[in-house]
Amino acid sequence: MTRKLVLTLLSLAFAFALGATAALAATTRPSNDPGITPTSILLGGTAPLTGPQVAYASIARGAKAYFDYVNSRGGVNGRRIEYTTRDDASDPVRTVAETRRLVEQDGVFAVFNSFGTEQNLAVRDYLNQRKVPQLFAASGASALGSQASRYPYTIGLRPTYAAEGWVLGQYLARTQGAARVGVLYESDSFGQELLSGLRRGLQRSKVKIVSAQPYDEGSYDVQAQVARLRVSGANVFAVFSSPTHAAEALKYAHRLGWKPKLTIGNAAASSAVVLGDAAEKGANPLVKGMVSVAFLKDPTDPRWRKDDAMKRYRSVLKRFAPGANVSDVYLVYGMAAAWTAVEALRRAGSEPTRERLVQAAASLDLQGNPFLLPGISLKTGPGDRFPIDQMLLQRWQKNAWRSFGGLWAYRGG
Amino acid sequence: MADFLQQVVAGLASGSIYASLALALVLIHRATGVINFAQGEMATLSTYIAWTLTVNHGWGYWPAFVVTLAVSFLGGAAVHQTVIRPNEKGSVLRVVIVTIGLLIMINGLVTLIWGGEVRAVESPFPAGTTEIGGVAITTADIGTIAVVLAIVALLWGLFQYTKLGLAMRAAALNPAEARLVGVRVTWMLSLGWGLAAVLGAVAGMLAAPSVFLDPNLMAALLIYAFAAAVLGGIDSPIGAVVGGLTLGVGLNLIGTYVDFVGADLRLPVALLVILVVLLVKPTGIFGKQEVRRV
Amino acid sequence: MKLGRTLVPVVSFVVLAVVVAVVPSFVSEFRAQQLAYVGIYLVAIIGLNVLTGYTGQISLGHGAFMAVGGYTTAILMADHGVKDIWTIPLAGLVAGTAGFLFGIPALRLSGLYLALATFAIAVSMPAVIKRFEGFTGGGTGINLFGIPELTASLTPVEIFGRSMAFNDWLYYLSWSIALVGYVVAWLLLRGRSGRAFRAVRDSETAAQSSGVSLARYKTLAFGVSAAYAGVAGSLFAIATTYVNPDTFPVALSILLLVGVVVGGLGSLAGLVAGAVFIQFLPSWSQEVSKSPGAPSVVSGALLIALMFVLPMGVAGLVERLRLLTRRIYDRSGS
Repeated sequence: MTRKLVLTLLSLAFAFALGATAALAATTRPSNDPGITPTSILLGGTAPLTGPQVAYASIARGAKAYFDYVNSRGGVNGRRIEYTTRDDASDPVRTVAETRRLVEQDGVFAVFNSFGTEQNLAVRDYLNQRKVPQLFAASGASALGSQASRYPYTIGLRPTYAAEGWVLGQYLARTQGAARVGVLYESDSFGQELLSGLRRGLQRSKVKIVSAQPYDEGSYDVQAQVARLRVSGANVFAVFSSPTHAAEALKYAHRLGWKPKLTIGNAAASSAVVLGDAAEKGANPLVKGMVSVAFLKDPTDPRWRKDDAMKRYRSVLKRFAPGANVSDVYLVYGMAAAWTAVEALRRAGSEPTRERLVQAAASLDLQGNPFLLPGISLKTGPGDRFPIDQMLLQRWQKNAWRSFGGLWAYRGG
Repeated sequence: MADFLQQVVAGLASGSIYASLALALVLIHRATGVINFAQGEMATLSTYIAWTLTVNHGWGYWPAFVVTLAVSFLGGAAVHQTVIRPNEKGSVLRVVIVTIGLLIMINGLVTLIWGGEVRAVESPFPAGTTEIGGVAITTADIGTIAVVLAIVALLWGLFQYTKLGLAMRAAALNPAEARLVGVRVTWMLSLGWGLAAVLGAVAGMLAAPSVFLDPNLMAALLIYAFAAAVLGGIDSPIGAVVGGLTLGVGLNLIGTYVDFVGADLRLPVALLVILVVLLVKPTGIFGKQEVRRV
Repeated sequence: MKLGRTLVPVVSFVVLAVVVAVVPSFVSEFRAQQLAYVGIYLVAIIGLNVLTGYTGQISLGHGAFMAVGGYTTAILMADHGVKDIWTIPLAGLVAGTAGFLFGIPALRLSGLYLALATFAIAVSMPAVIKRFEGFTGGGTGINLFGIPELTASLTPVEIFGRSMAFNDWLYYLSWSIALVGYVVAWLLLRGRSGRAFRAVRDSETAAQSSGVSLARYKTLAFGVSAAYAGVAGSLFAIATTYVNPDTFPVALSILLLVGVVVGGLGSLAGLVAGAVFIQFLPSWSQEVSKSPGAPSVVSGALLIALMFVLPMGVAGLVERLRLLTRRIYDRSGS
């Protein structure tokens, strides 16, 4: 009897000890993944610090400043976030080389916020095979989020270009009667996807696309295209281009005496400053009432002058990125991405692994990213690899963007 | 018809900007026998200087314009004296690589100082549009074409009728003999580089108001300028202007009326056309046949 | 003297071959992969050296011939099921033919006109590739990762019963092609054609009057150098496992010329140095500063400084060192 009791007690104690150590191991066993220590997490990404797309270098700068700010307040679960960027000059060959350096040499925990569609596609297979998270890739190409089961480690951030084009199409279909649309678009995946999104949004409506003029990314000007669109008889002008060419197109359309209603893609519209300039200090009537979509708080929008998040945005830049141009919306984008990364890391537990981080990032349901427009949530799931699905329409009035109407969300392929 | 004429007008306006940068290339080629790959980036830098003076320091357009031209002139001459001249001996490739180095460096410098964002640049011409038979012609278009024609006339006068121009031509054509008759050859060549930088600055300031200013303003323009200079004959200022205008109009018409080409493929097609022209006349339309020395 | 002429290249070649063979045992996998790219650049530079170093024709468009090779490989692999290594010679052949055909009209152009004509090709290439979307995949390009035609994407490679890390495989592939390519170029340049090439460079008129067919040798040089570029482009596609118009930018063409000139137009050591230079310049320059634009300032300044310090490129430096040691040797001998 006593022997039996002793044996039972012993086995119980043994089981308990085993369980305890197992539990202990589960909570304190250091992760085997590289790039993480009890005091730090290393993230890395590629950015165009030189070359033709250098304007987007501020995305990484904004993110870095926000991480520094988070670190100054204790980091995430006691860990500092180190974020290292490598220049790829927007050449995919260099993206591949620099990403391999980040993974194999620097040993990053996750690749975060790398810029560009082709650049992210070029390293997607590599990162997924190596099981390295490709977190919040800075591109809106639908292709990046397709085949989620094949590429579980790849997650975007901003709405897709298709969604953006669709929203603009829906807006035109509902408000413009039998309008004729002329489209200026960049002849690559970015412009083409916006155009096909617009087409889908216009389906079964009386609005027709009468002319679509492509331009090559490296073109000197787009005047010939704008002149053609003008004679095509279009009375709505959709601009899906880089900020520089958008500014040029708006100014030239006005100079030609063309008076269409304007819609403009988010990539160019975000630079409100640019358009303010393009408006020739208010002398370009085309710009007034121009419609676009937005998901970020625009740093030049007077509505956010007293907004807590945007106050923080300015103070973070002042402290951690001195000299940065505060009105550059891509800095806001970088901070929004960094905020999302911090939240995903928090949700990956006190001992994050790459696996857990990706799981957390792939099942987000978050409100209140302070850098996004109010009401926009971050949501991901098995079929949705782009956390930001919602957008607001906005109209250019009195030298600032003002959003109107409710939130738009794109459903379907 | 209105469509056709509109494309011609737009082509003439862009063509005259290609021509102004092409003139700078021609000037340097005449002076030192090299192609300056950094010509476009030097022009971008000049344009940023003008932008800073007007926007950040509140200068008026014309004072800023004059100061920018002066700074560009000195900068161009200084580039020649400091990095080009010491590398002129030996293979021509050395200078080619130096100008490529300058191109990369100045592009980076502009980004480092002013960032990658787009800037609006003030236009020297009033904002007005005249419409003739459905064709919109802006004051800026007319002004740009006029400025470029005036520059060619001035250059022509300089080289044809002034002692200085004669000395510059002598220094470029036959440095040894020029030296014998008392021409300060290296200074004449630096003068050529300075003038080229001034022309580049003018090109930048004419282009930026309509296509806006960013660090890569000149990346595409330089290619058009090359094409214009080669088409006209790389040693001929008149050729550069004719080449530039032909190219500007040609590009637009090809893009508009040849459906297969479309607007995005017009540059490759234009370059192909130029290649064909070169095959017929290897020294360009206005170029002189090189004399072969044995 | 004559013996020395043959002996020096042979000995330096053997030394290099031995070094190349043992390097992977001493470096990390990541370095091996970087060095594989050095090998790829070396292939392209050896070819460009035939054209620029020996016939004196400047090309600013060899990135375009690399694109031809790269896309030949990618299309053959993705659409026609050809194994990667078999596409390499085909890529060389296609690009070589393209170069030969381009060489015929280019005959009439000399000096800067040729430089600009080739530059035009490099500039046009991305737009042309984007236009023929059905064939080239347009702006999105062609992804080769993980397709069965690729010998290895990340997994170890089985060769002659031995397992080899993926990066080492790329390294040995590109360097063995580079070394073979060097020997072929050396044999070509040593013989009759080499003399003819040099005659063309030194004086076209004199070459012509002594019976050298200008047309034949200039187009030959163009074809040969383009074939090398095509092979390099093919390796580029295999190593990167991805091609798209942006992978062959104008900057690549310019970089190749920089590599040849920095190498010093000639010796093997110089060419290797040129290839190392263009592979590592972008990563070195961003170590200095990562402010937007700063890496370009560093690269550009370095390039200019190099022309001051080494006017004849690395080959010139080697030559000077050789003369110096001989002088010291002679002095101590006497």
